[in-house]
Amino acid sequence: MDRIKSFQSLYARGLIEASRDPLVTISPEGKITDMNDAFANVTGMSRIELKDTDFFDYFTEPQKAREVYQEVFAKGYVADSPLTLRHKEGKLTDVLFNGSVYKDDSGHVIGVVIVARDITEQKKLTTELTEAMVFAELATGLAQDAKIKAENATMIAESAVKSKQQFLSNMSHEIRTPMNAIIGFTKVLLKTELTAKQKEYLMAIKLSGDALIVLINDILDLAKVDSGKMIFEQVPFKMITSLSAMLHLFESKINEKNLKLIKEYDSKIPAIVVGDPVRLHQIIINLVSNAVKFTNKGKITISVRLISEDEDSVKVRFSVSDTGIGVPENKIEKIFENFQQASSGTSRLYGGSGLGLAIVKQLVEAQGGSINVKSKMGEGSVFSFDLNFLKTKTEMGREPEMEELIGDLKNIRVLVVEDISLNQLLMKTLLDDFGFECEIAENGRVAIEKVKNKSFSIILMDLQMPEMNGFEATAYIRNTLQSNIPIIALTADVTTVDLAKCKAVGMNDYIAKPVDERLLYNKIIVAVRKSMPKGVPKTDEREESLNLKCTDLDYLNRRTKSNPALMMEMISLYLDQTPNLVTTMKQSLKDKDWKSLYSAVHKLIPSFSIMGINPNFENMAKKVQEYASTQQQKDGILDMVLQLEAVCNQACEELKVELTSIKNVDYV
Amino acid sequence: MCKENKIRLFLVDDDALYLKMLEIELLHNENFILETFPTGEICIANLFKKPDVIILDYYLDSSDKNAMNGIEVLDEIKSINPDIPVVMLSSQDKIEVAVNCMHHNAFDYIVKSETAFIRLIKAISTITHIKKTEKALNWYMDVTSK
Repeated sequence: MDRIKSFQSLYARGLIEASRDPLVTISPEGKITDMNDAFANVTGMSRIELKDTDFFDYFTEPQKAREVYQEVFAKGYVADSPLTLRHKEGKLTDVLFNGSVYKDDSGHVIGVVIVARDITEQKKLTTELTEAMVFAELATGLAQDAKIKAENATMIAESAVKSKQQFLSNMSHEIRTPMNAIIGFTKVLLKTELTAKQKEYLMAIKLSGDALIVLINDILDLAKVDSGKMIFEQVPFKMITSLSAMLHLFESKINEKNLKLIKEYDSKIPAIVVGDPVRLHQIIINLVSNAVKFTNKGKITISVRLISEDEDSVKVRFSVSDTGIGVPENKIEKIFENFQQASSGTSRLYGGSGLGLAIVKQLVEAQGGSINVKSKMGEGSVFSFDLNFLKTKTEMGREPEMEELIGDLKNIRVLVVEDISLNQLLMKTLLDDFGFECEIAENGRVAIEKVKNKSFSIILMDLQMPEMNGFEATAYIRNTLQSNIPIIALTADVTTVDLAKCKAVGMNDYIAKPVDERLLYNKIIVAVRKSMPKGVPKTDEREESLNLKCTDLDYLNRRTKSNPALMMEMISLYLDQTPNLVTTMKQSLKDKDWKSLYSAVHKLIPSFSIMGINPNFENMAKKVQEYASTQQQKDGILDMVLQLEAVCNQACEELKVELTSIKNVDYV
Repeated sequence: MCKENKIRLFLVDDDALYLKMLEIELLHNENFILETFPTGEICIANLFKKPDVIILDYYLDSSDKNAMNGIEVLDEIKSINPDIPVVMLSSQDKIEVAVNCMHHNAFDYIVKSETAFIRLIKAISTITHIKKTEKALNWYMDVTSK
């Protein structure tokens, strides 16, 4: 029994010693009565040293330890009370203090068993965990910061690109207006008498100006494609006429360089397709002008082939090949970038902005096509692209953009509605050149008054004007005046939005400023021809000439109270006097005989209003008179004299007819 | 009697067209006896007919550079008979020209414009009014002095 007991006791002892948690028994007075190795290790003392010493001295907070100890006695146990044990060399061990009283056989408390669980590892782990969590949080924060920064950077970069485009676009627009004036007036100046040197310098100004306008338009186009503002029209057009008319533009250049232009057109392509002819032109113009630019001998071939066809649409391949300098293989990708040419040297040699191909690429891709290049250095290049066009059954509603030049039409009276005086003068100069009569209205309201009182063949209408803009004026003319006089919009910025608006209010066509002379002429002719009443051509002509007479005997009728004798006398006098005056005017201008010029024009002045000739001519005559007396401001004097001559000659012709008709009435 | 009431007008202009227009315009008034002259010289030669008013173009030497100009003709008329009122007509709307004419004792200066005829008739009626008043004054003076 004793052996069993002592064995049990040994066993218990073994367990106690094996525990890694410090174990200790304490007397009710707080003295250590027994302990295990773990406790000795934690305190750094030997068992003998520890025995009977004060238990509480080994804690960093003896008072707290005592309280916990007292709690054990009071409650009989204590669980997981955190305390810290101190090693004699200072090392601290965090423990959880567990204890319970033990009693003798009769139930008296004889001491306390304390188990102090070492939680150093646990604590370390917790700390590490906390630290890890803190780090993780910090890292997340940093990552978020970085993300925000990156987003900001992207936004800044994007807005920088956008504002760059906006800036370019705005600048280009702003530059275009004064450029128009510069080029326009250079043209006007070129028509005056100049020395060879002056002419040369002016040509240089004009060429540079033209180049600048092309660049500006290119920038505007690119900006539009980039910002998605480029909208492609879907209109029916005759592809072959449209293309061949456009290729005429290159004839002089091609002849000049002694190149050959070969056109290959697939007759299987439907005559009328639906697409955007303007943009197609733009693409081909850019490609062909590149081809012409970089080719010094040989030929340029433009071929248009049908690739595939289904019920609704056709796929057409356009290719432009040349026998020019070619593009090095490693540069082929590069030539489509903005402001790039194959080498910086080429731009010096061949000129150009380097935007042309960028625009071509953008325009082709925006329409769902792609552009291909094959090139061999020194042998030539082939640029090709495929585009889809819808088929249509409708007959052509409108003429193609460019009309082949057609025969002259006489007596065209143009009303130009334009608020900027520079542009007024420019339009006037252009129209005078064409031999059209021209009247200016500075805004829509004035235009409406003029249209009410006079008949015009066509109206050229600016869109943005004070008082009443072009849209409002057109709407009024169409709806209130019920007139279907052709109206062509003059617009500085051809955005599709504006065009839709133009059509909506009933304009017939538009032309972009700076106005291309040839295009303007064509558009006027086409519009006027279309507006002419259909029927027997002879009556047609008569009607026209009736409307477009330059004289108006209304005034004379009123003044003479329609007395035929007086009327005849007046007309005869005019017919006697005027031709001489006109001759004198022209001769004296030629001879620089200012006095005679002054006299002749001076005498002409009253005759305009008497014969009801447009007051513009009277003002013109006054300007010539002014010039004759001061010899200043020579601008357009010769031109005006020629116009005066023309109107006087016309007036004489008309008045001769008038005279005979009055005579005839008299006889009856 | 009838000759008393009518006003004898001389119209002088080398612009035949304008001269005719002027004549046509003034013909409507039955009180006018009109005579037209293409040059100042011929007008001066006819001064013996005692015109009541002379309408004289300012710029008379436009076709014939040796012809007298308006101011010269005006001076000549005034030297022959300072009592004949002369209304100057000109297409120049210039203040210096107008002032110059007034300095040379023109009765009025009228710019050739749409309103020229109306103003001319107004000027002529002013002249006749002044003439009448002067006549009446002279008669009173005569009566009182007697």
